[in-house]
Amino acid sequence: MTSEIKIDPVTLEVLRNALPAIAADMAIDLQRTSYNMMIYEVQDFCCALLDAQGRLICQNVGGVSHFVADLGVVIRDGLDRYGADGFSAGDVIITNHQRVAGQHLNNVCVYTPCFVDGVLQGFAVVRAHWVDVGGLSTGFSAASMVVDPWMEGLQLDQIKIYEAGAPDQKALRMIRDNIRYPDAAMGDLRSQIAACRMAERRLSGIFQRYGAQTVHGAIERIFSDSEAKCRRIVSEIPDGVYEAQSFLDPDGADKSDTVPVRIKVIVSGGDMTIDLTGCSLQRKSGLNGRTLAGAYIAYKGLTAPLEAVNEGSFRALKVEIQEGNFMMAQFPAVMAGWSRMLPTVVDTILRALAPALPGTIPAAHLGTLGGSMTFFGRDPATGRDFILQTIEGGGWGGRPWEDGVNATVSVCQGDVRNAPIETLELKTPVLVRQRALRDGSGGPGKFRGGLGQITEMTSLCEGRWSASNAGRRQCAPWGLAGGGAGATSRNYMRQPDEAEFRPVDPVRVLSPPMTSVRIATAGGGGWGSPLERDPEKVLADVLDGFISLASAEADYGVRIDAAKMTIDTAATIDRRKDMQARASKN
Amino acid sequence: MALVVALDIGGTFTDLVAFNLDNGEITQSKSSTTPYDLSVGIRNTLLKSGLPVAALDTFVHGSTVAINTAIERTGAKTALIVTQGTRDVYQIGRGNRPESYNFLFKRAEPYVARRNTYEVAERLNAAGEVLVELDEAATIEAVERIKAQGAEAVAVCCLHSWSNPDHEAKIGRILAKGFPEAFHSLSHEILREYREYERTSTTVLNAYVGPRVSRYLRDLESLLEELGFQGLLLIMQSNGGTMSPATAMRLPVATMESGPVGGIIAGAEVMRDLGISNVIAFDMGGTTAKVSLVKESEPTIAQGYYVGGEASGHPVMYPVVDIVEVGAGGGSIAWIDEVGGLKVGPRSAGGHPGPVCYGQGGTEPTVTDANLVLGRLAGDSFLGGEMPLNVEAAREAIARKIAEPLGMSVEAAAHGIIRIAIAEMSLAVQSVSIGRGHDPRDFAMVAFGGAGPLHAAEIARELHIPRLVIPRVPGHFSALGMLLSDLRHDYVRTYYKPLEACDFDALLQIFAEMREEGETLLRSEGVAAQDMSVQLYLDMRYVGQEFPIQTRIDEANLKACDREALRQAFDLVHNQRFGHQAESEQVEVVNCRLTARGKRPRVSFPPIGAVGGAAAPKMREMIASDPAQRVACPAYDRDLLIPGQIINGPACIVEYASTTILFEGDRMEVLGTGELMIHIAEAQQ
Repeated sequence: MTSEIKIDPVTLEVLRNALPAIAADMAIDLQRTSYNMMIYEVQDFCCALLDAQGRLICQNVGGVSHFVADLGVVIRDGLDRYGADGFSAGDVIITNHQRVAGQHLNNVCVYTPCFVDGVLQGFAVVRAHWVDVGGLSTGFSAASMVVDPWMEGLQLDQIKIYEAGAPDQKALRMIRDNIRYPDAAMGDLRSQIAACRMAERRLSGIFQRYGAQTVHGAIERIFSDSEAKCRRIVSEIPDGVYEAQSFLDPDGADKSDTVPVRIKVIVSGGDMTIDLTGCSLQRKSGLNGRTLAGAYIAYKGLTAPLEAVNEGSFRALKVEIQEGNFMMAQFPAVMAGWSRMLPTVVDTILRALAPALPGTIPAAHLGTLGGSMTFFGRDPATGRDFILQTIEGGGWGGRPWEDGVNATVSVCQGDVRNAPIETLELKTPVLVRQRALRDGSGGPGKFRGGLGQITEMTSLCEGRWSASNAGRRQCAPWGLAGGGAGATSRNYMRQPDEAEFRPVDPVRVLSPPMTSVRIATAGGGGWGSPLERDPEKVLADVLDGFISLASAEADYGVRIDAAKMTIDTAATIDRRKDMQARASKN
Repeated sequence: MALVVALDIGGTFTDLVAFNLDNGEITQSKSSTTPYDLSVGIRNTLLKSGLPVAALDTFVHGSTVAINTAIERTGAKTALIVTQGTRDVYQIGRGNRPESYNFLFKRAEPYVARRNTYEVAERLNAAGEVLVELDEAATIEAVERIKAQGAEAVAVCCLHSWSNPDHEAKIGRILAKGFPEAFHSLSHEILREYREYERTSTTVLNAYVGPRVSRYLRDLESLLEELGFQGLLLIMQSNGGTMSPATAMRLPVATMESGPVGGIIAGAEVMRDLGISNVIAFDMGGTTAKVSLVKESEPTIAQGYYVGGEASGHPVMYPVVDIVEVGAGGGSIAWIDEVGGLKVGPRSAGGHPGPVCYGQGGTEPTVTDANLVLGRLAGDSFLGGEMPLNVEAAREAIARKIAEPLGMSVEAAAHGIIRIAIAEMSLAVQSVSIGRGHDPRDFAMVAFGGAGPLHAAEIARELHIPRLVIPRVPGHFSALGMLLSDLRHDYVRTYYKPLEACDFDALLQIFAEMREEGETLLRSEGVAAQDMSVQLYLDMRYVGQEFPIQTRIDEANLKACDREALRQAFDLVHNQRFGHQAESEQVEVVNCRLTARGKRPRVSFPPIGAVGGAAAPKMREMIASDPAQRVACPAYDRDLLIPGQIINGPACIVEYASTTILFEGDRMEVLGTGELMIHIAEAQQ
């Protein structure tokens, strides 16, 4: 092994900082030049350098978290396909095939080999969410309508679109002709390639400056240091086997059944095993993927949330998962909803560990990929095709020391931003009627769950609306340590001829002008008994309108004089005693 | 006698630097900052300086009151008026979590509680057309309630007020009538740019800090008046310009990040005088190093930043000199992490206790200690010898905390600490140059701050920057920059259309309005017409992109409706920044920007004297590239250098508050105006 090479600590530190900086700069360039909001606003992409064996040297931190350390399989598959000597400088490979990549087809990987003095030293990779890859992939993809992988869109299987610097115009035209919004996709492809090329240059510069032997040695050491840091943190968790379960809503394929998520976490010294084998087997719906992200996100959050990611970040974690699990589904399973289970899986892993880490683990969060809204069509005023997309946050769970955070995207969605109202109205024919915190949606607790959100829009021309059900309607964001559950999500729609909104989860519904769609995202669970919440905080919540007077009394046992808006202390003490007594009787 | 004064209030000291423009003489004084009443510290510092206050021409003031008020959350009780349906936009923000793996993240804590946010019925669309008229009766009622709840400041942000400010202006009039004693902040008067959350956040911050900043500036004015000051008082802004106190009272948010910009402005100006227009300005002090790119003598401006950090801070969409800051300064502490990695910073020993060698109780080895061990700093000439440094204590600390655990010699450990700090600062330089499409080989570096000249040659070599300039008074450079800053006001108006469809009359009209606004303000600040100038920019992007690039444009092209020229200007900057362009893609205009400047009299140093021959250096030894070897190194006293003198590295140039280090192959020339011009030797691979 190359790890025998002794690297001086100074060079090591210089490289430890220089390598992640490349991935960070790739991310900045990609985001700034991309042509679709899934990249520039949602940051639904990842940028990385991998070594010649497909091991992760560095990856950008920020943006969508469920891409963490998942590019190795893609590069190793490319190495199997072409052989280690099957690449030339100037090649560009494109791939999204679900056989290996295991995600929805919109996530398109583009990578380039990096040669230094004629030797293959690694690969620069950008995976990014294209706005469309044909089929039913427009926007966030129509998972619930897809019945097989080909209906979802184009499967691109390790295709060299550039060979030694020369573009394959036939392949590019084939892609272009079979997708919607080809200008955006080709612009994004250009940005992906440019980011890879920039990274190649930077990596070459580092190899030339320090020599291959030193760089390889440093990379091994960086991996083992990351591993050691994680082990130290895990070793502070009491040894034991921790279990928890939850479930996802029935997914339509088999209406009688919810989808089980059963988690076992085994801590032994610095080793952690996350056992996912008790989770659902492969589904007939689109709720399938090939991903370890559920386990990885939880582990990363527990060990080193702010540090750079590399191959060593997960070496001390063992993920037990069998082929045929719904998170290790086999092609041709439908994978259009590949990541929808992940927020719940992460929540459940954390819940399993709550007894081991009572001062750290929060109650459950919205538990879904959030309130997404899509509206697309052709604007009669401009004659141009448009697509509107936004992702609205929901409530996060109360923490053992403070309230949960309001209206924030899920644990899988890092630096994902909602689209500004003014941007939406400037670019697309809609009117945003409301963007508000969803009063009363936070789970009651000593530390209340964060509030979900309500967003309502009206379309000004004909077009297709989607506001898909992200799940977890039946398994509400749970409370912890005596806290109550948060409110579950709801979507609504009202056509111009309807008097009222009706609850519905529209999927590409062709709608006349002046159709309104409203989404209400879930609130977070509460932490601790609401009867222990400081009455002053309960009063403040009433004054701010976050909870109602009735809830103050019914859930928190706090009686407030509605005329004076002051706490009736004596009545509150009595009422809390009563509620306590009743609770202990039950 | 022409005397100009810059006064900066820091956390510990209130610093004053005065320049006599006639003879280049510098006066400085400092006294303790008095947080309970800053004017006490200002008075003490002024009196201590012995300067004739009545004779001062100009007094430029950099104040941290706005930023401290925001960070310490000690601002006014603020209410917010918004469009119906958007009460929670300010609470929700963008719903994002920049720290994506941190499930215990924090979001920005709003400065206005939800209960103090009031919705009024009114609605415009993006074209500025009225969909719902403003409900004036309801607005009057809301203002009454705001008054009754005891607010001291009111912010107003209506949807699409960037497009049509009528409704906001009406609300402003209702406020002026119904609640004149409060501080008012209307979003369209702060910035006319789309994106309601960012505009609201900026407007709220302006209101939140407004009353306190206004009180402070009024106190300052009366203090100066009392001391007999009759000159021009100017307030430093984040954009590198200055403004009158009256403007600062209305737009306090514009002063928020003015602290670090002075040095960058001075760097740009000093280099301009040397005929060098593309500059990397490098400022290294006790706790951080700051880097900024100057192109064509213009500091790079960012159109926004976060107060309190990006992860959980408040966006301020106001122009700021674009500075990348890293936690590497003279006081940065070297340490070993739990897996044996050698780290430098971001923790700093600061001024107190400071580095170990200060002998003030510091026990953690710092960058300064490492420099002392390497012989790059001399223990007997620090601050002109006023502060002897303890080399043995520095050696001992590095030995115990770094060298022994890592099994290295003390010299190798000290050398390593510097190399790591250099690498980190080089990454910062790289991010503002290569990272933004600029080749550092096309730039010269100007280095200042107490520790800048000590490290700059190595950073320049690392990035193949061929020339390095050490200006005069590098330790007081920030203050000098405040005196070199023009009056400056930046304006923005969103105008969103494909370039093909742009109405050039409308564009010219927008620019004319912004110019009128800027020139009126400059006039009110006493700027003569011949000293005014404007620069025009369009923010453009390819259709489908989100991030526009600010592109400088020529008004003649607008007048001639020359779409092709505008487009080519954009393609060029896009290619330069990102390495690709798309000639076949449609280009769209997003914002119009205008900068209005009022030129101030130039401050420049008289040439340095050329009395007698060059003074002989003292000899000392330092460790350069090989930690196992001490090389002989002549140490020159900067005050005794003469114009045209050539010094080859290795050498060091010692002055009161700074030391410049040259390495083998570096060649330095003393310019007639006193700057040190260093030609950097190529790096040895």
